[in-house]
Amino acid sequence: MTPTTPLLAARGAGRRFGNRSALEPVELELWDGEALALVGPNGAGKSTLLALLAGALETSVGTIERRKGARIGWAPQRPAQYGRLSARENLELFARLEGEHDPQLASERLLRDFGLPGEPEPSANLSVGNRQRLNLAIAQLGGPHVLLLDEPTAALDPEQRLRLWRRVAELRDAGGAVVFATQNLEEVERVAGRVAALREGRLVYTGAAGEFDLADVETLSA
Amino acid sequence: MTRVLLLLRKDVLVLRRSPLLLGILIAYPIALAVLIGLVASYGSSKPRVAFVDEDNLPDTVVLGGHRFDVQHTIDQASKNVTLVRLSPDEASRQLDDGRVVGVVTVPPGFISTLRGMVHSPQLQLELSTGTISSRVEQQVQALVYSLNRQLQRAYIASNLRYVQLILHGGDGSFLGAPITVLGIQRAQRMLRGMPQTPRTAALLDFLHDARLALANTNDALSSTAHPIELVRAPARGRTWALSAEVQAYALGLTITFLALLLAAGSLAAERDENVVGRLARGLVGLGQLVWSKVALAAAVALALGLAISLAFGLVIQVGGVTGGEPWRRLPLLVVGLVLAGGSVGALGAFLGAIAREARSASLIAVLVVMPIVFLGLIPAEIVPPAGWISDLLPFSHAVDFFRSALYDLSPWRTVALQGLWLLVLGVIFGGLARLGARRLLA
Repeated sequence: MTPTTPLLAARGAGRRFGNRSALEPVELELWDGEALALVGPNGAGKSTLLALLAGALETSVGTIERRKGARIGWAPQRPAQYGRLSARENLELFARLEGEHDPQLASERLLRDFGLPGEPEPSANLSVGNRQRLNLAIAQLGGPHVLLLDEPTAALDPEQRLRLWRRVAELRDAGGAVVFATQNLEEVERVAGRVAALREGRLVYTGAAGEFDLADVETLSA
Repeated sequence: MTRVLLLLRKDVLVLRRSPLLLGILIAYPIALAVLIGLVASYGSSKPRVAFVDEDNLPDTVVLGGHRFDVQHTIDQASKNVTLVRLSPDEASRQLDDGRVVGVVTVPPGFISTLRGMVHSPQLQLELSTGTISSRVEQQVQALVYSLNRQLQRAYIASNLRYVQLILHGGDGSFLGAPITVLGIQRAQRMLRGMPQTPRTAALLDFLHDARLALANTNDALSSTAHPIELVRAPARGRTWALSAEVQAYALGLTITFLALLLAAGSLAAERDENVVGRLARGLVGLGQLVWSKVALAAAVALALGLAISLAFGLVIQVGGVTGGEPWRRLPLLVVGLVLAGGSVGALGAFLGAIAREARSASLIAVLVVMPIVFLGLIPAEIVPPAGWISDLLPFSHAVDFFRSALYDLSPWRTVALQGLWLLVLGVIFGGLARLGARRLLA
């Protein structure tokens, strides 16, 4: 049966920090099986939009709508984890908070899938790449229908990138969706079905990935 | 509740992995409590008082046949003040700039008036303004009292010699002039050798009564000099270091310091770790996040407070200190520790929410904790505004709770009142922290 409501939608959602507007009101919908890429220069509002969609940040105007029962996984650009806990302890803690039936089993599986060390070493001591892997692994907890990934591959090696996009493909095949922010246009072409371009806090372009042209975006935003 | 406990468990785990931080957090307030206690107990116990001698006091003075070493007498009498010999000008200058809190002046003619034993010579006392002056006045009064007692002993001894002269007769001197006294005993003997008439019988009767009365002169003179005498019983009770007051302040200060810093630092650290957004998107509400820090502060306050009480208790038991440690009151103390830790923790969480960064939060907490403690140490009856402000902060309520819970014969009223204060303050600061926690998302 075709769903009648989007998995996730921004309805005029915007965010201000004091007098500064980080994101002007945005209209955006995300449907089952979709892969939406957010592109734009630094400070364009991509991370703010992802945080609003994730519910990690409150909107200043507008609302975020989530289909009933839809679960969201979010991996912010800067890893969000406890540095004094090991990778396993981080995963177990968030697994419990996410309501995983068997937190230890879920943690063990993600440690294995993401190639993370199981030793009791604090995660603050992990390499940048491993910390990003842990960040992405935590986002997988709770069986999310939608993954919101903020520049997920920036610190990953090529093999881990492949693993990540394979996992995203599996999610989409199962009816899930992904929104990812990236500076890598090759990834946009290879993974995204749709592109949303932001510039100076405004959504300046949305369209099919195949029709996306960076030059058009620059013209639109000028 | 489960989510709060999960975060609490995580924080305890993190704390256990920071032994150096934990050690400093525990040792620092205990050291501070000891130092404050020492300063409070001894810092102003011997105020500096100028001693101006305008009479050129001699090294020794003979009064009523007693020889007084002047300096030794002054030293003995001034145990509670530090007397500093100064010239009148220097004493006045030091009083003006606060280096001495009072000036005791021996005016010209003091010794000659004293030797005359007819009028009381006067010492002049000049005090600085301020809260300590009343105490210095009392101490100088004590000094004069002590001098008077020594002189009274001499005067009484001198008067008794006259009494003995009147009783037994003989040679003596009065105001420097030699005198010869017949004496009651010899007068009685002379009267008995005379022809007995009703008039000699009346005189004998009078002399008999006078002899009896004068026989009690020693006690009568002593009791006139000291209608009420203070007898000091052998020392008992606890030393200052183990007193109820010190236990209560040590607990209050340690818990305030620790709970405030922990709650402020750990809440702000959530933002430093970038996990607030991850938690706030439905996993853990901001309110739950705040209350988990309050719970952390309460749990650590409970553990540390019990450890301190046990340490005090062991020292008291092993040392056989008077009164012993009130072990049966520990359950009541547990309630106070949790309430105090939670209340201070809520204030700490509020500071953490405002500061947003762990380092700033810790600095602000350290800056805030000192005034909170010092406000609580100032007696409200001396500086009422300090008492009013302190009432709005948890420290003084915690100290009152601990003191009453451990040592009051009937602690229930105080404990209930102070417990309610701590609870209400905790809810207010917790509410403010919840409002401020939105800043952690920005």
